[in-house]
Amino acid sequence: MPGEKVSGTASGDVRWYQRAVFYEVLVRGFYDCNNDGTGDIPGIVSKLDYLEWLGVDCIWLLPFYQSPLRDGGYDISDYWTVLPEYGQVADVAQLVDEAHRRGLRVIADLVMNHTSDQHPWFQESRQDRTNPKADWYVWGDDDQRYDKARIIFVDTEKSNWAWDPQRGQYYWHRFFSHQPDLNYDNPEVADTMLDVVRYWLDIGLDGFRLDAVPYLFERDGTDCENLPETHNYLKRLRKEVDSLYPGKVLLAEANQWPEDVVQYFGDDDECHMCFHFPVMPRMFMAVRREQRYPITEILARTPEIPDGCSWGIFLRNHDELTLEMVTDEERDYMWNEYAKDPRMKRNIGIGRRLAPLVDNDRRVGELLHSLLFSLPGSPILYYGDEIGMGDNIYLGDRDGVRTPMQWSPDRNAGFSRADFAQLYLPPLMDPVYGYQSVNVEAQMRNPSSLLHWMRRMLEVRAQHPVFGTGTMEVVSTENPSVLAYVRCYPGGHGYPGGHGAEGGPDHQTSEDGAPDSTSPDTVLCVSNLSRFAQPAQLPLQRWEGMTPIELLGRVPFPPIGELPYFITLPPYGFYWFGLVRRPHGASGG
Amino acid sequence: MGQDRLDMASAGGPANAMDLTNPTPGEVQPWQPPAALVEAIGGYLARQRWYAGEGAPTGLQVKASEQLAELPSARGRLLWMIVEADGDSYQLVIGERPPVEAAERFRGHEEALVGAVGDAVYYDAVVDSEMALALLALSSGGAERAQRSRPMGAEQSNSSLVYDDRLILKIFRRLSLGGPNPDVEVTTALARAGFAHVAAPMVRWQRDGVDLAFGQQFLTGGSDGWALALTSIRDLYGTSATDEPCNPAVSGGDFAAEATRLGQVTAQMHLAMAETYGRSGELAERWQEMVRSLTDQVRREVPDLAEPGEGLLDRLRAVADPGPSVRVHGDYHLGQVMRSDAGWFVLDFEGEPNRPVEQRLVATSVMKDVAGMLRSLDYAPNFVLRERGGAEAPQLAELARAWGARNRRAFLAGYYEAKGVEELLPPIEDREAVRAAFELEKALYEVGYERAYRPDWIAIPMAALENLLRSSVPEVVKPFEAEHDDELDGTVDAEQTLY
Repeated sequence: MPGEKVSGTASGDVRWYQRAVFYEVLVRGFYDCNNDGTGDIPGIVSKLDYLEWLGVDCIWLLPFYQSPLRDGGYDISDYWTVLPEYGQVADVAQLVDEAHRRGLRVIADLVMNHTSDQHPWFQESRQDRTNPKADWYVWGDDDQRYDKARIIFVDTEKSNWAWDPQRGQYYWHRFFSHQPDLNYDNPEVADTMLDVVRYWLDIGLDGFRLDAVPYLFERDGTDCENLPETHNYLKRLRKEVDSLYPGKVLLAEANQWPEDVVQYFGDDDECHMCFHFPVMPRMFMAVRREQRYPITEILARTPEIPDGCSWGIFLRNHDELTLEMVTDEERDYMWNEYAKDPRMKRNIGIGRRLAPLVDNDRRVGELLHSLLFSLPGSPILYYGDEIGMGDNIYLGDRDGVRTPMQWSPDRNAGFSRADFAQLYLPPLMDPVYGYQSVNVEAQMRNPSSLLHWMRRMLEVRAQHPVFGTGTMEVVSTENPSVLAYVRCYPGGHGYPGGHGAEGGPDHQTSEDGAPDSTSPDTVLCVSNLSRFAQPAQLPLQRWEGMTPIELLGRVPFPPIGELPYFITLPPYGFYWFGLVRRPHGASGG
Repeated sequence: MGQDRLDMASAGGPANAMDLTNPTPGEVQPWQPPAALVEAIGGYLARQRWYAGEGAPTGLQVKASEQLAELPSARGRLLWMIVEADGDSYQLVIGERPPVEAAERFRGHEEALVGAVGDAVYYDAVVDSEMALALLALSSGGAERAQRSRPMGAEQSNSSLVYDDRLILKIFRRLSLGGPNPDVEVTTALARAGFAHVAAPMVRWQRDGVDLAFGQQFLTGGSDGWALALTSIRDLYGTSATDEPCNPAVSGGDFAAEATRLGQVTAQMHLAMAETYGRSGELAERWQEMVRSLTDQVRREVPDLAEPGEGLLDRLRAVADPGPSVRVHGDYHLGQVMRSDAGWFVLDFEGEPNRPVEQRLVATSVMKDVAGMLRSLDYAPNFVLRERGGAEAPQLAELARAWGARNRRAFLAGYYEAKGVEELLPPIEDREAVRAAFELEKALYEVGYERAYRPDWIAIPMAALENLLRSSVPEVVKPFEAEHDDELDGTVDAEQTLY
């Protein structure tokens, strides 16, 4: 039943995604098993041990379906098969099995709104107006219907309609003209797409990231976004998934303001998760401005979401994230405020990796990750950011952030044994970010590397489910460069299991405050967004008598008294404190 | 809700001299302070920031005293007094407890101790959480209750308590007996007029028309404009060490968008003031007198600049109409505004605390506040410059000027472009002259102040005076259009976009 509390069955608890850390993988760029120069699904299987070691919970695969690849695989030409260079359906099944064995989950991108124009359905549909698939796409005799719908890719598309000379009609497309929209008013389409979902869930996927969900239906006189019909269909999808496949997740991509996105959670009867887009540029802006307001403002205008739901938050991903997409017309405070900043325009507007975005300043990178891991929502890491990979802006478009994963200082970054010239993209070779200096193998050997830091952070995060499910409250401080908040979980509900599908509890109670999965937990996060050391006085009287324990080193700090708690932070410094009530006299030992 | 309580409290009216507004029945009782306590009060007063006199007062008189409440724990009593010392009246809120319990309560706040008499210890009740909670309940007539309180430190004329990070209660120490406290009155009136940038009033505790305490929404997550401006400037100076293009417009901590929004809020504040208190021609009547006074001060404070300054002063004398007069903030600077998650808020409408209340209420040009903020925007970068000092100072001085100029422009842009503010401004031909007059007035005041208290700092207002008195007479017709730059384009309409 939807809304039921955590089940605790052998298959793991159904709300796992609320406490999970996601890891976004570009199949093409992760690891090449058959040495053809392109990453593949067996390649991911062979790197599962690494991901388990790192401590992520769920792998998010970018589209791996059959596709002419005119839009990075988001133009699917067959929902039932895998792109041959990536492998076969059986490889996906093996990936899922091997992942589950290690306590990892796997979700995948699914594009429901449209297909490639190479999809057999479209090829059949365009033949004439009477064939069996004639009504599977949105056809019209003129290009005037739905004229209130905006054009999303304004740079490349002039209209949402494209002329098909073969059928002698216009077809509707919200994105590229080679991506015709499916007609969800046709019950056959609606049913078939549920078949697609069932097919991949049967293979064992743990859920989907649903691409472009707001556009499924069209109605004249509307902007054809967020229509009630679209929500009804999502409700139907959710019901189907929850009843047949409990414990799976639907993650919606709706690039809008949080107050508009929130409708895609429904009443916990649509998507389990939605991306929170605006928080990303604001984290960068807060560091740039050396003040917390960019973050606290967006949190203040983020509405409450239903109990079992969760935001997905990220610092970087595979897409270029333009401010235009993040924001919305004249309501766009972000644009007004920040896009005037030439550096922000350059860096947020163009796809960059995290490390170059922060001038390779590891302190800033760690600070941003500490925010990502401690703000409300499930964090999503982008492959390679855990070792501070760079980008290649000369590759243009989005390829700059899609270079091969840097595994070792060996040939082709250890990514592939193919000829260099055969690689889908060259690995980075510059002296700062190149694979000779930045790679997994070297960082695994160096205990002070970013990779080890990241692993330790994920470990601490996993010990504190409060980061995933706790409430959040900003703590007032007069210093604008300091951001402090308390995450609080009152306790009571059971959390069966840790981060694994196997559900084995992997954290224990320790006297220093690492809670077991059911105990109440309170964590105080304090961050210095400035390049200079900063003081802060925090009104923590409500937690008077409790002892803050720094979670990375488990060092107890002086207990909270009735005066404001005074703290100093090094440049770009941050602390995570577990607030615990220590037994009397324990501090003396 | 807050409004209802407010009406109730202020409409209560004094039934007799000792009646508190809506006291909890049976709790308030007559009380006479023991003579030894009265004697100890002098020394206590002398330690308080809000005490106006020098040293312990001679001849202290108790004007009123009573027991506000008896507390359930540790034989505590909450006591209240008004005392007169050296011509000023002060409100005391005092806790009484046995020595051990009392020591526990004021530990860490030793300045709060008044004294011990017999087996009772007396101390400032604001440091005692239980007393503070009782005070809130009493002063709000039972309408507001809280779980926790914390003292926020004392200002020049009041001390503040924060309850549950939700409500801030300002206890007026130096009482203005002439009538309602201007801060309470103006804040309440502006809130009623729909001006959303004051913290919402929640508690008003009065007797005999005298304001004793005022409770407002506590702006969580707020930091004052001065702190925010310094953050921006430190970032700018910090960037100068690198190869990055270094000017305030492209620095990470750019403040211009904030300054523009602050200008808009300031204009809205003046419009609400005009709507509430009306407009008059007061300044027009004493304009020439003001210019004469400025002329005298220039000759007295900066004689070297008297001659080059004649151009400006002539221009000021030639002003035919300095425009309408309205009630203004009166002591407007970056420290009086607070940035919160919901934008800028204006605080402290008390006016310049060292002036008599009647003078603070005089209507004048809105340019008085505008000039106050412009001077503050000039002080901020030079303040950080002095903090840093060292060899890099000459290089940073250029940045300081650029930061000041950019944010001055941004503030004026926000102000002048606010809808409806036109009718409060001086006529266009004299607008910049009137603004210059008020900047001159403020800078002269600053020079006098720095000379008396911080001679090291005098260079900041002196540079401003040099600028004003040596540069050509401002004749800009539409100052903002002339100076409009592209970077500010996007900063208008922040009001709309913030919410």
